[in-house]
Amino acid sequence: MRVAISSYTASTALGHGIDSINKAITNRCSGLRHNDLDNCDLDTWIGRVESVESTSLPAHLDHLYSRNNQLTWLGLQQDGVLTDLDRLIDRVGAHRIGILMATSTSSIGRTEEAYARMDASGYMPRSHDQPEIHHLHSQGIFVARATGVTGPSLTISTACSSGAKVFASASRWIKYGLVDAVLVGGVDSLCLSVLYGFNSLELLSTQACRPFDQLRDGISIGEAAGFAILTSEDLTPDADFALLGYGESSDAYHMSHPHPQGKGAIMAIDKALKSSNLPPTAIDYINLHGTASKANDQVETYAVAQRFSTQTLASSTKGWTGHTLGTAGILEAIITMEAMKAGVAPGTLNCKTPDPEFEFPILMHNTETTIDYAMSNSFGFGGNNAALIFGRIDE
Amino acid sequence: MSRLDIAGLGAWGTSFSSWETFANGINTGTWQTETLLQPTLIPTRERRRAPQSVKLAVEVMNQACEMAGLDPAGIAAVVSSSMGDMQITDYLCRTLATNPAAVSPTRFHNSVHNATTGYWSIAARSHAATNAVSAYDYTASMAFLEAAIQSLEDESPVLVVTQEMAAPKALHNTCPSDQAFSAAILLTPAGMNSDPLATVEFDISRTSSDWPELPGDLRHGLESNFGARLVPLLAVIAANNRARKTCPVNLEFPLTPASSLKLSVTTHT
Repeated sequence: MRVAISSYTASTALGHGIDSINKAITNRCSGLRHNDLDNCDLDTWIGRVESVESTSLPAHLDHLYSRNNQLTWLGLQQDGVLTDLDRLIDRVGAHRIGILMATSTSSIGRTEEAYARMDASGYMPRSHDQPEIHHLHSQGIFVARATGVTGPSLTISTACSSGAKVFASASRWIKYGLVDAVLVGGVDSLCLSVLYGFNSLELLSTQACRPFDQLRDGISIGEAAGFAILTSEDLTPDADFALLGYGESSDAYHMSHPHPQGKGAIMAIDKALKSSNLPPTAIDYINLHGTASKANDQVETYAVAQRFSTQTLASSTKGWTGHTLGTAGILEAIITMEAMKAGVAPGTLNCKTPDPEFEFPILMHNTETTIDYAMSNSFGFGGNNAALIFGRIDE
Repeated sequence: MSRLDIAGLGAWGTSFSSWETFANGINTGTWQTETLLQPTLIPTRERRRAPQSVKLAVEVMNQACEMAGLDPAGIAAVVSSSMGDMQITDYLCRTLATNPAAVSPTRFHNSVHNATTGYWSIAARSHAATNAVSAYDYTASMAFLEAAIQSLEDESPVLVVTQEMAAPKALHNTCPSDQAFSAAILLTPAGMNSDPLATVEFDISRTSSDWPELPGDLRHGLESNFGARLVPLLAVIAANNRARKTCPVNLEFPLTPASSLKLSVTTHT
């Protein structure tokens, strides 16, 4: 049984919904801007989603207010995903649909605000005393109540691989028969924790990030919300894409530095190829993790070169959106499927001169090509790796 | 109904530091008065950097693998915590409120929800898939279900770990946990391990249920710890193992407000 992706949406610094991403990729316009977040004067670039702050939540969800849930709500409104989900609920029942959410920091921005407003008593102010908000699963609770889905609901938070791993778990849930469909999602919003945290590790670029460029000097953090509906293939025969395989692995090397020979990354790629029954030569396009950190891009090109011929097109799309952390996996899975649909592999934005040390050529320009099979890589802190392989469902 | 074996268990709390001392407490009412944590698996370099929450979980994960006689290197893991390391969250939010540029890089990379699996994979030299999950107050039962499905689908052992620390004041209303607790359950495909402790059959029911009561001795300290909500399962295995009872025991754990995880546990002796 194959798992189909019947509907999806993403909202990023490029705008709300899929069209905004496609338009920006075609026009090669980045969504990154110099940091203008309140209470943060770091000299870095960010990928900020427009009008998150002015997004109002429906009254019955108002007690779940946080910037992260504003972004979640904004993201859910795009591309008809809620309508598709409602139809699915009518067909199989709300209890036969699960929720798997990816995030690195969930609503911690709201927790940061609460601490900043805390008085001498050491308790949160009443305005911020929201027990359902100050934890990792806050957007899982929000999505369940916003959609009416009542099946099992879980948040996966493995740093920057989270958004890929929700596809793997959803695939297992559907194949096992736990549910008929899973709403997978990823939401990460800009907050002080990640900006100052990555700053402390000296990983932030002072420019818009330049993945794979010889002068790349760090990441640009972005926020995003992405959702996809996964079902068994027979439930949604009109779906365009199938999740053909996934691979998950651990580096077993270092908490914040990738394995120098990409051991875990290669294992994730190998497992994904094996589970999809495809040879490396079948993969037409790879959406790389490509964060623009010195180490990631070096290690990832090495890893990819160990398995793929230089004919395989490979690029990073983080120059458009920034690194959206826990959401990156789902956002880039969606960008990958859109590339398959359009027949255009996006060339790496902001990469002027690829690092001559790389053993693998980086796709520089948007390139028309037929993409039958594509892979998306996601690697996270703690040496947590995931690779996904998507294929087209032919009529 | 699906079936899996439990091949190993590990536990750590303020009155027990292993499966043996936990089981002894359940069966005799005699508990440890002090439990020093001396994790053996984490290499020295990582031990200095690893936060307490990680040390607890890595210790119980290693205990479960040792009991099963399985090399931890190849074992997949689903590590769960509703909140992650709350001391680090508290530190980060305090520092961000006062002097954000002073955030410690080590504490930041330790703040990821998958810190435990990161340290675990290094300590166990394991390249296996690891996951870090939360479902807030349903974390423990959802983590069990997630690991069980992974074990069945991949036909391989999966460690399910629950971990919850004592909450600092500001987060106590979100997570009313007063004592640290961590437990590991090594699930193996039925029959894979020649000498499992127990066999579990599980199913999902579309009915709500209450969390099963914790054993009396542990109620005071762990009742409000979301990570300790599988303790009744551990207690059944401890008691039946000692009493050599092999008849199945039924347990029901809430999964969502409207569904439950029904377990039938047969202890082997």
